[in-house]
This record gives sequence, C-alpha cells and structure tokens, in this order.
Amino acid sequence: MKMPTARQRRLRTILFWAVPAILLLVPLGTNAYTQFIVNGMLISTLVTLGFTIVIGNLGQLAFANTAFFGIGAYGSAILAAKLGVPWLLTIPIAGVFGAAGGFLASAAALRGIRSYYLAIITLAFGELMRWSYLHAKPLTGGTDGLPMPRETLFGTSLTDDTVKFYVFLVVTVLLVKATANLLASRFGRAVMAVRENEVATASLAIPTSRVILVTFIWSGFVVGCAGALFARHIGHVFPESFGMLHLIASFAMVLVGGLGSVLGAVLGAVMLTALPEYLRAFPGMEELFFGLIVAAVLVALPMGLASLLRRLSPIFVERFYREAR
Amino acid sequence: MSDLLIVEGLSVRFSGLTALEDVSFRLNRGEVRAVIGPNGAGKSTLFNAISGYVTPTSGTVHLNGEPLTVLTPHAIAERGIRRTFQNGGLFPALTVLENVLTGLHAQTEGTFFDILFGRRKALDSEAANIARARDLLKLMSMEHMADTPAGDLSGGQQRIVEIVRTVASDPPVLLLDEPAVGLSPVARDQMMDIIRRLAGEKGVGILLIEHAVELVMAVADKILVMAAGKRIAQGTPDEIRQDRAVLEAYLGHA
Repeated sequence: MKMPTARQRRLRTILFWAVPAILLLVPLGTNAYTQFIVNGMLISTLVTLGFTIVIGNLGQLAFANTAFFGIGAYGSAILAAKLGVPWLLTIPIAGVFGAAGGFLASAAALRGIRSYYLAIITLAFGELMRWSYLHAKPLTGGTDGLPMPRETLFGTSLTDDTVKFYVFLVVTVLLVKATANLLASRFGRAVMAVRENEVATASLAIPTSRVILVTFIWSGFVVGCAGALFARHIGHVFPESFGMLHLIASFAMVLVGGLGSVLGAVLGAVMLTALPEYLRAFPGMEELFFGLIVAAVLVALPMGLASLLRRLSPIFVERFYREAR
Repeated sequence: MSDLLIVEGLSVRFSGLTALEDVSFRLNRGEVRAVIGPNGAGKSTLFNAISGYVTPTSGTVHLNGEPLTVLTPHAIAERGIRRTFQNGGLFPALTVLENVLTGLHAQTEGTFFDILFGRRKALDSEAANIARARDLLKLMSMEHMADTPAGDLSGGQQRIVEIVRTVASDPPVLLLDEPAVGLSPVARDQMMDIIRRLAGEKGVGILLIEHAVELVMAVADKILVMAAGKRIAQGTPDEIRQDRAVLEAYLGHA
C-alpha cells in the first residue's frame, strides 16, 4: 500500500484545518434555504461518523445510531424547553445522554450478542426509543413533538441559520478532530484489531471488552451531540424524525462515503444531503434517481467515495482506517 | 536459577470430557520446551489454559511467583506471557507495521483523554513505538514490507510478523503454537534460527507446540510428550527418542 510521505502528511494536516477555515466564509454565498441545507450536512456528518466507527472500524452490526440521535435531540429539547437550560449547554449534556445509549448498546455486544442478533436487538432499541417519545407525553409532547424555546446567542436570535451554522461548524470540527485523534492512536488500531480477530487481540494485552465499550460510548456521544444540533436545526423535535427512514439514510451515507472512513463520513453526508435537493428538478422521479445514484456509486466504488480519493493520492490514506478484507 | 513459569497439576474438563489432566512442568529463562503429541493430546488446551482462554478445572499457573489462573487473556498477556495462534493471529487488513504496533499497545502511554485531545504525551509515545516497531522489522529483514497489508504476505512471512508482534513488548514467556506449519524448508530453518536467538540472546522462555519432529529435536532443550490429555514423558530430546511410552503412544511403532 502506498503511504503518504512526510510532506504529504503535513499537507494533510494543513488541509484538515484549511477546509473548515474556508467553510467559515460559506454564509457569504448562501441564501436562507441553502444555508439550512448546509447546516443539515454538518449534522449528518456527525451522525454518519458515529455510525461508521461502530460498523466500519469496530465491525459490529449495531443499528442503534438513530436511537442515540433521538436521545440527544430529545435530551436537548427537554432540557431547553422544560428546564430552561441554554441550548449551547445542552450540546455536551445530550452527548452524555447519547453516550449512555451507547453504553446500553455495547452491553448487548459484550454479553456475546453479535452479528445479525446484535442488528435486530439494536433495531428494537431504536424502535423502543421512538415508542417512548410517542408515549412519554408530559416530557416529549407525544405526536405533537416538542418545540425548542426562543433564545438568543451573542445578541442574535437562534432562529437565524447563519448563527446556527457557526455553532454547528465548531462542534462538528471539534468532534471530527477528536474522533480522528482517537482512531489514529493505539486505540483506533485496537478497534480494528477487534474487528479482524478478537481472540488474537486479547493475546496482545489489549482489553477487548473495554475497546468495544469505549467505541460504542464515543459513537453515542458524537451522535448525541448531533441530536442536540438537530433539535435547534429544525426547532421542533418529532418522533417521526427518529425512525427507520433516518437509520437507512444514515446507513446509505456510511456506505456511499466509505465504511469506517472519517473522510468518507464527511463525503457521504455531504453528497446524500445535497443530492435530493438537486433531484427536485425531476418531480416524481426523485426517489428513483436517488436510489439509482446510490446503487451506481456502490457498484463502481464498493469502498465508497473515500476510496476514490485514496486512489488519487496517498494524502487521503487515513492513518486510522484499513478496509476489512 | 529460579523458575520463570510453573505449571502445577493443570486440568481442564469440558462437560465430562477431560481435555487436560494433571499436567505439571517448569520453564526457565532462555529454555525452549517443546510440547508434542498426537492430535487431540491436549496441547492446544494446555496453551489456552496457560494464556487464559480456557479456565482450568484445577491446578495453577505461576509466572515469577504470581498466580495467573484467575486472570483474563489480556491481563495474562500484560503480565508477560504472549502467544501465537495455530491458524495465524495476524490482522490481515492492518499493515505489517500496524500489526507490530498492536503488540506494543500496553507499552504506549497516554490516557483516553490524552489521545482525544491530541496531547504531546500520547503522540510522543506513539512515535517512539513506531520507531521501535521499525527496528524490530529491520532485525528480521522485513522493513521493506512495513506498509504492506499483512494479508498480502506469504505464509512464512506472516508467521515471522506474528512472532515479531508477540516479542515486541519483550515478554519473558512466549507460547508458539505450530510456528513452522506450512513453511518451506528455507523458512523453517529461518524459524528455527529465530527461536534459538530469542531463547539464547534474549533469554525468553519458550513453550513450543510443533509437529515437525526434526525442528523440535533441533531447538528444544526439553520435550514434554502428551497423549489423551496427560503427560506421558518428559526429558531431553535424546531421552525422548528412546522412551518406550513415547514410541508406543506417539510414534505408533513400539
């Protein structure tokens, strides 16, 4: 495998910070509508990132991702609407709630429930959470959902998508960077080692149970934070936002971007958030085209868009991800 | 010379079936002890019981006087008993260098939060380990393969990388499960040389399961012969060659 040279690695680090720096200028070129879409991309990036580390890097068929997302969104909305906690403060708290969800999901994996069985039990967890949002009416508002309270940030109303954008961008960049640090370390290697051969991993003095537990918790934290962003993004949380449709959309983002790749999480989220907007030009055919394009990408690039970039230049070879084989 | 590894009365029973019965031996620093016996003799069960993958029904394992019998596999590995696997324990998707680095996991500094925030301490320790892993690969003339996915290596190269990975942390005891299986004669000689050097130069106590009789006779100081879960003989290669019980049970021509 062609690895990046020292110079390419430096370039990669510069790129990592240059891209968000350039993104600071995005609001100059957007209108209210496109800004809303861009904000959605940032949230999807985090949702995809949290998902991909569990199914790609750790190799566990766990589909509790939408549950983490809903827990984060409702956690944030309940804190803000019922207890008057400033929204900004609810972001890390929602992350902790999501992490608690991750802890629950890992408990199943650690009790030896794996593969298809883990898939079905985590899907059930997601549906149970959705059922809870519907029925815990005093807290969640049931089918009516829960509106986010009006708030101002630095003197600007938090209904303004440009203000939201800057907060979302900072949160996203910090969480992507932290996740990249994690995956590029001995921890990230241990995560992939568990995927490749769990028995052999333990023989190298690596506590495999802890590796699985921490991966789920971190995944839950990232996606829980994304939930808090989402609550502010749409301004009103409804149970329907956290159903199978969201899970399948996130799964598609993971695969289109490239399983287990941080770069892929960003690419998949951006592409599949933007695509439906472009397809509005073909009324009645949107879903068909969407499906065809996703299928075409996966046939042409089974390891996703990130694998295309990796082929173009070793700069895009991540220190922390190797395709399963 | 004090004993490095002491195995006493080790037995493993799986619901009625006795896989290992009352096996005892001692392993010294720098000693190579081979474990031989026909299929189903309990050799792999012995390895699994020592390394914590199977809980012994009775008996004890001590490393430098510390009891290991109640510990999990990763805790036993951390105490200094490292092993290889019969079917190969490499991570095929990871590069050769990354495979060796997993062997240094417990030797890497930095907590979860040091890593998360990209603190100097964690990064420096990682860099030091990368340098060490490259040196080890150089010793085995494998440095040109550092960035190759381990799954792309030949069988012989994979066995060598697996050994590099297990010895990276300088463990006092090494359990090698059929390291020469499927190797060409040249690679087999190289493997013998590696085993001798680990024991002779680094003083590693090595427990070796191997079917290749000539390799065992050439590198082992002592041989433990097993059949049906029991130790049927123990001695130097010369003694074992002349042991009647061994000839009957193992070689099959009395």
